[in-house]
Amino acid sequence: MKKIILLTLIVCWLGSMPGWSRADDFLGAPVIPGGKIIDKSKKRLEFNSEKTHDQVLQFYKEALAQLTDIKYRDWSDSTYIEDDGNLKWHSITISKNDAGGAVVIIMKDNWTWIIGTLVLRYIGVFVVLLCLLLGMSVSGAIISRSVKKMEGKETAAKA
Amino acid sequence: MTANEILDMLRGILYTTGIFNFQWNIIVMWGVASFFIYLAIAKKYEPLLLLPIGFGIFVVNFPLVPLMGQTAEGQDHLLQIFYHYGLQWEVIPCVIFLGLGAMTDFGPLIANPKTLLVGAGAQLGVFITFTGTVLAGFTLKEAASVGIIGGADGPTTIYLTQHLAPQLLGPNALAAYSYMAMVPLIQPAIMRWMTNPQERKIRMRQLRPVSRKEKILFPLVTAGIIALLVPSVMPLMGMFMLGNLMKESGVVGRLTETAQGALMNIVTIFLGVSVGATMHADNFLSWKPLFIFGLGLIDFAVCTIGGIVTVKIMNLFLKEKINPLIGSAGVSAVPMAARVSQLQGLRYDKTNHLLMHAMGPNLAGVIGSAAAAGMFIAMFD
Repeated sequence: MKKIILLTLIVCWLGSMPGWSRADDFLGAPVIPGGKIIDKSKKRLEFNSEKTHDQVLQFYKEALAQLTDIKYRDWSDSTYIEDDGNLKWHSITISKNDAGGAVVIIMKDNWTWIIGTLVLRYIGVFVVLLCLLLGMSVSGAIISRSVKKMEGKETAAKA
Repeated sequence: MTANEILDMLRGILYTTGIFNFQWNIIVMWGVASFFIYLAIAKKYEPLLLLPIGFGIFVVNFPLVPLMGQTAEGQDHLLQIFYHYGLQWEVIPCVIFLGLGAMTDFGPLIANPKTLLVGAGAQLGVFITFTGTVLAGFTLKEAASVGIIGGADGPTTIYLTQHLAPQLLGPNALAAYSYMAMVPLIQPAIMRWMTNPQERKIRMRQLRPVSRKEKILFPLVTAGIIALLVPSVMPLMGMFMLGNLMKESGVVGRLTETAQGALMNIVTIFLGVSVGATMHADNFLSWKPLFIFGLGLIDFAVCTIGGIVTVKIMNLFLKEKINPLIGSAGVSAVPMAARVSQLQGLRYDKTNHLLMHAMGPNLAGVIGSAAAAGMFIAMFD
């Protein structure tokens, strides 16, 4: 009996270690089996997978195939999966690591991102119209200068 | 022929009528349709759109009408064809922008380009409403499409909604056009609340005359800059600037006339009736459209505040002050919002005419709301 209790305690202890934790999902986002957790908090899960970036990406494409508001962005050494719907998780980033495997980071849906992106985009509207203002000012200046030059030439020709 | 056979035949005929397929909820939609038809005819609120929209709502809310579905052979019904090719393909909003461009004189904006910033500031409500909509449980795409209502630009609202959340097309378009029509009712109280008597009496210098060359160059410069910075909205802005170039060039009078007249009228009919036709009782009667209508009003109010505050901030740095009453015109709704600024200005100084000054932010609002829509499309595409 003592041995069983001891064994159970050891298993629980090993299971609670970050490097050995296993989970099927994090905030509803699927977690690829065989991953080694590097960091886990309420808002973020980071884990290493021995599978290649492409294999992990394929796993997520299949796992998320039913969801309609999912967006994939491919960068040079990573892929960013973002949810634009109402899921509890916001993004999954799959990056290549040095060992040929992949590092996967799952982020919780958060207001910091929403407010941040809205503020940036509001500023973006100002930037667009400010650029237009500059463009109009430059083109206006060029036109008035050319008109003045032409008027000057006409006056000189008349004289 | 036996009595039973006659009864069967009669029953067969009766089951092909709408009476035997009647649902209570369509009566509510008749009420909604009648309300918008009433607003269009009796109150003359945006009649060019609210009338066909109202009629579209009315006719699709009858049982068995072959208007917004498909035949057994898979062929689209009449209004479904208009909707599919006009709105799903995002053609109609762009063609309307072509016509608007051919009607618009950008002179006041070119003469006072600073007012472009007012058009940007007035998009505040778009982004604030987005947050409120997400809090209410809408998806991010739905929130963006609801937020853009405050930009007070019908075609832009329809374009963005069709792109991101087509299921909300009817309520969003209705809210946008209804509130655009109600700008004279919504804005004055906010304008008075946000300004003091001294500010309302600020006189602005008469706008300089704008040369034809500047007017010709404006659509080219604008199209170039928008294409570089927010390419996603170029279908709208490109057509807008094409229409304006046609007008200002003066060499394609026939095309300009068609774009601002016949073509515009034709697509307006298809737009109105198609938008109305999307509002079947089964899709419309839920809390979401009511919420959109409620939030749309707040959206308009915050956009108005955003425009006025932007003018006030600009006045801190400008030698020649701008009358903050023109800030409210930053919410597009051309030229209704500019007229409201003019009327409010005249209330406090009978000789202070603000109409031409307000046209600058008004036109900037069109570009600003399109830029905001472009930002959202870029966010999700």
